[in-house]
Amino acid sequence: MRFSGTRDAATEPPSPLCGERENASRKNGRAGSSLPLYLTLLLAILFHTLPAQAGQLGRAGLEKHFPPPLVVGEKDDTLPVWPILKQQAGSYEVFAYAFESVDLAPIPGFGGTPPDLLVALAPDGTFRDVKVISQHEPVFLEGLGPEPLIAFVEQYAGLSARQAIRVGRPNARAGGAAPQTTVDGISMATASTRVINQSILASALTVARGKLGFGATNVGLKVEAKPDLYERLSLPDLLARGWVRRLTVTGATAATAFKGTGVEDRVDGPPDTVLTDLYVAYLDAPSIGRNLLGEARFDALMRELGPGNHAVMVLSAGPEDAPANPIGERFVLGAVPDRLAVSQGGLIVTARDMAVERRDAGLAEGLPPGNWTILRIDQAAGFDPSAPWTLTETIVRERGQILSEKIARTFPVETALPADLFTRIKPDAGPSWTDPWRARAPELGLIGLALAVLVPVLARQRGLVADGPRFAAFRLGFLTLTLGFIGWFAQAQLSIVTLVGLVRAAATTHDLAFLLYDPPSLVLWAFALAALVVWGRGTFCGWLCPFGALQEFVALVARPLRIRQVAVPPGLDRVLRQAKYGVLAGILLAAAAGSPLADSFSEIEPFKTAVTLYFVRSWPFVAYATGLLVLNLVVYKGFCRYLCPLGASLALLGRVRILDWIPRRAECGTPCQLCKVRCRYGAIAPSGRIDYPECFQCMDCVTIIHDPGQCVPQVLAHKRGRRSAPHPVGAA
Amino acid sequence: MSGGGHPRPARRRILVGAAGLAAAAGLGGLAAFRAAAASAGLTLRTRAGLAFGTTVALTAAGGDAARLEAALTDGFAAMRAVEVAASLFRPDSALSRLNRDGALDAPDPHLVVLLRFALALAAETGGAFDPTVQPLWPVWAAAAARGARPAAGVLHAVLGRIGWRRVRLEPDRITLEPGTALTLNAVIQGYAADRVMAAFRGHGIEDAFVDTGEFGASGAHPDGSPWRLGLADPRDPATLAAVIAPFTGFAATSGDYNMRFSDDRADHHIFDPATGYSPGALSSVTVTAPTGLLADGLSTACMVLGRERGARLVAGHAGAAVRFTDKA
Repeated sequence: MRFSGTRDAATEPPSPLCGERENASRKNGRAGSSLPLYLTLLLAILFHTLPAQAGQLGRAGLEKHFPPPLVVGEKDDTLPVWPILKQQAGSYEVFAYAFESVDLAPIPGFGGTPPDLLVALAPDGTFRDVKVISQHEPVFLEGLGPEPLIAFVEQYAGLSARQAIRVGRPNARAGGAAPQTTVDGISMATASTRVINQSILASALTVARGKLGFGATNVGLKVEAKPDLYERLSLPDLLARGWVRRLTVTGATAATAFKGTGVEDRVDGPPDTVLTDLYVAYLDAPSIGRNLLGEARFDALMRELGPGNHAVMVLSAGPEDAPANPIGERFVLGAVPDRLAVSQGGLIVTARDMAVERRDAGLAEGLPPGNWTILRIDQAAGFDPSAPWTLTETIVRERGQILSEKIARTFPVETALPADLFTRIKPDAGPSWTDPWRARAPELGLIGLALAVLVPVLARQRGLVADGPRFAAFRLGFLTLTLGFIGWFAQAQLSIVTLVGLVRAAATTHDLAFLLYDPPSLVLWAFALAALVVWGRGTFCGWLCPFGALQEFVALVARPLRIRQVAVPPGLDRVLRQAKYGVLAGILLAAAAGSPLADSFSEIEPFKTAVTLYFVRSWPFVAYATGLLVLNLVVYKGFCRYLCPLGASLALLGRVRILDWIPRRAECGTPCQLCKVRCRYGAIAPSGRIDYPECFQCMDCVTIIHDPGQCVPQVLAHKRGRRSAPHPVGAA
Repeated sequence: MSGGGHPRPARRRILVGAAGLAAAAGLGGLAAFRAAAASAGLTLRTRAGLAFGTTVALTAAGGDAARLEAALTDGFAAMRAVEVAASLFRPDSALSRLNRDGALDAPDPHLVVLLRFALALAAETGGAFDPTVQPLWPVWAAAAARGARPAAGVLHAVLGRIGWRRVRLEPDRITLEPGTALTLNAVIQGYAADRVMAAFRGHGIEDAFVDTGEFGASGAHPDGSPWRLGLADPRDPATLAAVIAPFTGFAATSGDYNMRFSDDRADHHIFDPATGYSPGALSSVTVTAPTGLLADGLSTACMVLGRERGARLVAGHAGAAVRFTDKA
C-alpha cells in the first residue's frame, strides 16, 4: 500500500537554488559521449547542492489522514507542525500534533534518501499514529515490499516519546522485551528499520521540546546504582549524609500551608504536634538499601525489582491513625499511591507500590516502627536517581459539611544523592553502527580471507595463474564463493544503488552514515576501489561480482549445448560499449536532481532480482534477469560489457589505475593475435594493447603468455632455440 | 489584572462555549444547515488552530468558498502578527525582547496600540488594571510548584517593581524602569479578535464568528439565525450558565478557573496590583463591547475592581455591558 499525498504549493518554501537546478539540466543536455566529460560531470553532480527535502502533505493530504470529526488546524508558524484538533462543547482541544519526520529529522535511509513518516503525537507525548508517506528503502521498495514496513510503524501507536524506543529482533515483544520501549524488528531490514525508528524518535523529540515541554533530557537514560559499592552506615549516618531524608509535618507547618482556606486549624494539641513523619530512601544503592533492609531482604528486593529499575522506600513513623498519614489504612497495596508522588524536574514519575510481603519484614535495626511502602519506578520512566528528585506528600482537608470541597496542600522533600554512587549510561544518540559490524563479524572474516587469497594469486602471475588447469579450478571455486557466499548468503552484491545513495547524500542530506550499516558491502567497496587504483575495474567485475559469477556459470553450459557466440561487429561493439556510460549518467543525473526515477533506472541492474531476492520477484523482473543470462550464452557477459552502470562507474574511476600489470610481449599484436582472439571480453586491441576499462582480469591471456605450449612467440622461439620473456607493456 | 507571563502550564479551560452553528451543531443540525445554506448559496468555513497558548477558531460565511479560505488565511496571519508583537509565549516577540532588554526601539505598531490602551486603562482604573504585574508570575509559579504561596516578604519586594508609571511609551521607543516587566495577556486575545475581524472585512466578509480565546461576531449565521454566544458555568465548564443571543460585537471573559495556583481557585492568574494576591470576590466577569480590546481590558479590570466599581467603569464606556459571577 502506498500513501499518496498532494503537494501544497503554498506551503513549499521558495527554492533559492532553482537557478542552479536549471544549470544542472543544461549540463545534462550538453553531455556528450566523451569519457573525461562524464567524469567532470560526475564530480559536478557530486558537489552540487539542491534544496533539502521537505514534507509533501498539505492541508488536504492531512485531512485524508485525520478525517472528521478531527479538524486539521492551521499550520504552526514556528515549527512545521499541524495541530489536529477535536471539537468539544463548542471549543477545541488538541488531539495531536502531526508532522512529517522529513521536515524535522531528515535521516538518510539505506537508499540515501530520508524516509518520510507522518507522526501524530498526543499532547501527553504518546504516539497516536505513525504512517509511511514515502520511503526509498530498497528492501521495502521491492524485496519484502512495503507491507512489513507499514506493520512496523503501526507498533508505535500508544508508545510514549518520553522513552527511548529501540528496534528489537523480530517477535522481540512476544519474547519478553519491554513492550513500552521495544518495537519488533524485521529480519533482512535491520538497518532500514533503525533509520525509520530514529526518524520517528528524533522528529517527535523536536516537537516535544517545542510544543510539549519535554524531550530535552532523560529520554532513554539509564542510571544504575553501583551494586558493589557498600559502606556500613546506620540510620543516623544516612540521615546526616542526606541519603535518607525525613519529612516531618507538624500542626504548625500544616496551618501555614492551609492559611486562608478556612481549614488551617484541624489539629488538637500544641502546634508542634506531629501529623506525619516520613523517612524517604532510594534503596537501589547498597549503602542505603542494604543498611535499611538487611542483606537477605535487600537481595530479594533487587532480584524482584530487576536491573535498571528503581525502588524508593517511604516509611511513616508518625501517628498511624492520623488522617494525614499517607500510608494509613486507606493505602492501597500495589497501587500508585494517591498521597505520595515522586517527581523530578517538575515531571511526575510513575512510582507504584510493589506490594512486598509485609510480615516478617525484617527491616534492619534502627528504623523506627511504622507502615511503609516500597515504590517501584520503571527504568523507562527516565528517572535519574543521581540528580535531585522530590517526594511529595499531599494532605487533603475537606471544607464544608454538605457540599464539601477538598483542599489539598503538598509537602515536598528533596533527595540529592552523590553521583559517584551510580553508573550513568547515556542514551543512544542514534542507531549504533557498531552493532551490524559485530553481528556480521564471521561473514566479514570470511570475506577478508577470500580477498587475502585472491590478491596474491593475481599478483604472483608465475604461480597459480601460470598453471592452466589448477588456475581454472581455483577460479571456479572462487566464483562459487562469490555467488553463493558473498552474493546470496552475505547479501553483499555491490550495486549502483549505493552510488545513487552517495549522490543523493552529496546533493541533499550530506550524511553518509547509511554506508556503515552494511559492513560486508562497505568492505567490498573499499577493496574494489583500492583494486581499481592498482589494477583497474576488473578485480571487482571479474572476481567479486556475484551476478558476473552467475553469468560465467551459465556460460559453462554453452559449449555442451553447442551454443555458439554471436560475433558482434566491431563498429557496433564500440557503440554498445559506450551505452553503459549513458545508463550511468542517466541514473546519476536523476539522483542528483532528486528524482525518484533514479530508483526505477537502477532496475536496469538485475542484481536485486538475481542475487538479493533469489529470483523470487514479479515476473517482468525475473524475465529480464533470465533474459540477460540467456543473452550471456550468445554474447558473453553482454550485460557487463554494454549495460552495467556499476561497471561503467568503476571503469571511469579506474582511469586513475597505476599499474599496467597484465604482461605482454613485444610480439603481442604484431604479429601474434592469439590473446586478442581468445579474449572473451574483447579487451585486447589488435595492437596487443590491454583495454583495462574493459578487462575483467580473467587472466586467460596471462595463463597463455606463461604457457610455452600455447603462447605463439614462445612456441616459435622454442623452435628457434631461443627464450622469450614476457614483460608488461604500456597500455596506451 | 492578568499576569500570566509564561507558557501556562495548564491548557486553557473552556471559558465560553461558542454557540451558533460552531458549537450547537449536532449532526442533524448540520445537515439541516447545509440544506438551508446551500439553497441560499452560502458557504460556511471554519479553521481552527493554536495561538496565544490555546485553541482558536475562525468562522466565516459567504458565497465564495475561495474568498472565505483566503480570509481565514489572512485571519490567522493577523493573529500571528499580534503574537509576534506581544505574545509572552514567544521568546522572540517584541514584548519578550522589551522585557529582557528593558527598552525597545522602533516598537512593533501592534505592541504600541496594545500598550497605549493598557496604560490608559491603568490610569482610568487608578492602577487596578496594570500591565506591569508580570514579575508576580514567576514568584507565584515557583511557589505553586512547591505547593505553597509566596512568602509575604517576597511579594512585598516584587510589588516595589510594579506600577504602570514605570513604563515610558514614546512613538519610537518603549522604556521600562529596572526590574519592571510587562504582560499584555489581559488584552492580547481581544485585540487579536479585532484584527481578525478587520482582516475579514478586508475580504468583504460580513458574517463571521471569531474565537481567539475571546470572541467576536458580525452579521449572522448563513442559515439566517443570529450568532449565539454561550457562557460556561465557571465551576462546570460543560454547562452553559447563560447565552447571549443575538451576539454581535465582541465579548471577553476573565475568570478564576482558567489558570490557577490553588485547587480552591483562591489563587489564580489574575493579580491585584496593590496586594500581589488574586482578587477574592468574583469568579468570572464577562464584558461585551464594541472592540475586543476594550472588552478584554474591562473584563480583567472588573475582576480586580469587584462588582460595584467594575459596573461603574463599564458604564463609562459606550456600548459596553458586563455580567458578574460571584465566587461560590
